[in-house]
Amino acid sequence: MELNTASETINFAVKLENDSAKFYENVAQRYAEGREVFRSFAVENKRNRTLVGRAYYEVISDALEACFSFEGLNTDDYLIETELIEDTSYSDMLRMAIEIEDRIQRFYLDAAERSKSLMADVPRAFERVAKKRSERKLKLRSLLKEE
Amino acid sequence: MAILEDPIKEVLELKNYINGEWVKSESDRISDVVNPATGKTIAKVPMSTKKEVNTAVEAAKEAFPDWRRTTPLARVRCLFRLKELLEKNFEELSRVQTIEHGKTIDESRGETRRGIEMVEVATGIPSLMMGYNLEDIAMGIDEYVIYQPLGVCCNIAPFNFPFMVPLWFAPFAVATGNTVVIKPSPRDPISQAKLAELVDEAGFPPGVWNVVHGHKDAVSVLLEHPDIKAVTFVGTTKIGRDIVYKKCGETGKRAIAQCSAKNYMVIMPDCNVRRTIPALMTSFFGNAGQRCLSGANLVIVGDNKFYNEFLDAVVDTTSRIKVGYGLDEATQMGPMQSIDGKERVLGYIEKGIKEGAKIRLDGRGPNVIGDYPHTCFLNPTIFENVTPDMTIAKEEIFGPVMSIMRAKDLNEAIEMANGSNLGNAHAIFTSSGKDAKEFQYRIQSGNVGINIGIVAPMAFFPFGGMKDSFFGVLHGQGRDAIRFFTESKVVIQRWF
Repeated sequence: MELNTASETINFAVKLENDSAKFYENVAQRYAEGREVFRSFAVENKRNRTLVGRAYYEVISDALEACFSFEGLNTDDYLIETELIEDTSYSDMLRMAIEIEDRIQRFYLDAAERSKSLMADVPRAFERVAKKRSERKLKLRSLLKEE
Repeated sequence: MAILEDPIKEVLELKNYINGEWVKSESDRISDVVNPATGKTIAKVPMSTKKEVNTAVEAAKEAFPDWRRTTPLARVRCLFRLKELLEKNFEELSRVQTIEHGKTIDESRGETRRGIEMVEVATGIPSLMMGYNLEDIAMGIDEYVIYQPLGVCCNIAPFNFPFMVPLWFAPFAVATGNTVVIKPSPRDPISQAKLAELVDEAGFPPGVWNVVHGHKDAVSVLLEHPDIKAVTFVGTTKIGRDIVYKKCGETGKRAIAQCSAKNYMVIMPDCNVRRTIPALMTSFFGNAGQRCLSGANLVIVGDNKFYNEFLDAVVDTTSRIKVGYGLDEATQMGPMQSIDGKERVLGYIEKGIKEGAKIRLDGRGPNVIGDYPHTCFLNPTIFENVTPDMTIAKEEIFGPVMSIMRAKDLNEAIEMANGSNLGNAHAIFTSSGKDAKEFQYRIQSGNVGINIGIVAPMAFFPFGGMKDSFFGVLHGQGRDAIRFFTESKVVIQRWF
C-alpha cells in the first residue's frame, strides 16, 4: 500500500512500533537469554510511538504539506515478519530481530528524507528513532556473536 | 484503505449557546448541514430569530462588567482549562471538521492545532496587555497608558475554516476582558457548537462566550446592534467591504474584515524544484483550494526549457493527487464544501476555456477514491496560457484551479501580481536571497512567502492583508489583536 499523507505514515510508524513491541514481548517470555534487552526494546517501542505521534500532532498545521509529504513510500517495502514458529532457535530469532530492525530503520530514514523540508520536527523524530534502531542492530549482532 | 470512525452517530439538532445555556431556537427556518463527501445530513441548524440574536448580545453585555473586573490571571485560567480540553478532544474536533467541511483529516488536525495555538498565545495576556508609562513628563507629573476592554465583540465566521477562524479572535477578545458572540457559518457550524461545549466545561462565566446560529439576517442584527463594539469578519471582499466594513463605519464599531484573495506564486528558475512542488500542491489544492491563502496564479519565470520541465513536473504530481473522503487517511484532497461552491468553480473553468486559456489538466470529471456521490467532488484543474486580463486570473475562484502564467523576469512577475486589486498572500520560490529581498520589498501583499506555499502567520504574529483583501486598521492575531480588542486610555497625573 502506498503512503501519501502524514496521517497514513504516522499510523504505519505506530503499527511498526506496536508489532515489533509485541515481537520483543514474546521473545522475552520465550528465551531466557537476552530477556532484559528484549524487554527494554519493547518498552522503548512505546516511547518511540509517543515520540513520533507527538511530533506529528504538535507540529501539524493547516499550512504544512501534510497531505503531500510522503509520496513514494510503500508499506510493502517495510513489512516485518514477527511470527515465531515453535522451534525457532535463539540465533534464528536474533536474525529475525535484526531483519525487523533493519526494515524499520529503513522506513524511518526514507520517511525522514521525504518529509525533511516540510515538517522539521517529524523527520527529526524519525531520524532519532532510526538511530535507536541502528543501535539495536549492533546490540542484536553482539548477542548473535556471543552465540 | 483506513477510514477513520465518524464521531457523529445521529443527526444533531444544534442549539444556540447563550448565557451559559443551550437554548433551542424558536425559528421555523432550519437548514441541513450536509457532509459534502457522503451527501448525508449530519445536523440541523436554526436560522435564529432577531430576538434570539439580541438575547445573545444582551447576555454578553450583562456578563461584561464582571468579566472585565475578573483579573487577567483568572481570565486566562479559563483559557488554560480550555486548552487542556481542546487537547483532550483533539481528534474528535478534527474529525468533525472533516465531516462538516470535507477537508482531509491531516488538514483538519492542522486546523485544530492552529486553533489551539491561538488559545495558547492568548494565555499570555497578563504580560501582553500591559500598558506603559513615563514618570516626570513634566515636573512631578507622570503619564501612562492602560489598555481596557471594549465590551461585546462578535465574530462572523466563514465556512472554510469552521473551527479555527473564530479562534483567531475570540481567545484574544475574552482574555483582554471582552465578551463575545460568535456566529458560525450555517454550512458547517458543528465545530463551533463542539467548541462551545468545551468552553462551558472550562468554566467561563455565563454570557462571556455565546454562539448564535444563523445567516444573513443574524449578521444584519449584529452589525446594527448598538451594544456590539467590535466586529471581526472573514469572507468575501463583496460582503466584507460593502456590508461589514461599511456598516461598522456607520455604527462606530471597530472592524477587521479579512476578505478575498488572488495569490500569485512566483517561480524563479533557480528554485529548488523538488521541494517547491509539494509546497505548491498544498498551496493550490490543500483544503480543495478554499482558503484565502491558497495559490491561484502560478507565474513561471524562465526560458522555455525550464518552463516546460517545471510545468510537466507540476502537472504530473497534480494528476496523481488522490481525491476522496477526508476521513480516508489516503485522501490528499477532499470535496468542495458545497454544491454551490463546486458549481461556481465549474463556471470559472468554462469561462477560462471561453477566454482562450488552455486546459492542461481537467478536473471536472472527478476521479474519487471510494464509493461516494460525486456531488461536491472535483479533481484539480490546471490552465496554461493564462493572461492577466482573463477572468480566471483576476477573480477569486476559491477552488482547486491553478492558472499558469509566464513572466520574462522577476520585475514583470512582481508587476503582474501588483496589478491585482487583491493582496493577501503572494509568494516567491527561489534560491536567490537578492530576488527574495526584492520581492519582499516591492510586493503588495499583507503576507509574503519566501519558499512558503501557504503564508499563514502564527498566532503571535498578525494575519496581514492589503488592498481589497483587508479592511480595517489592526489585524487579527498577535499584538494587533490585543490592540484591536482594547481601548488605550492615557492617564496624566500629579498629586498636590
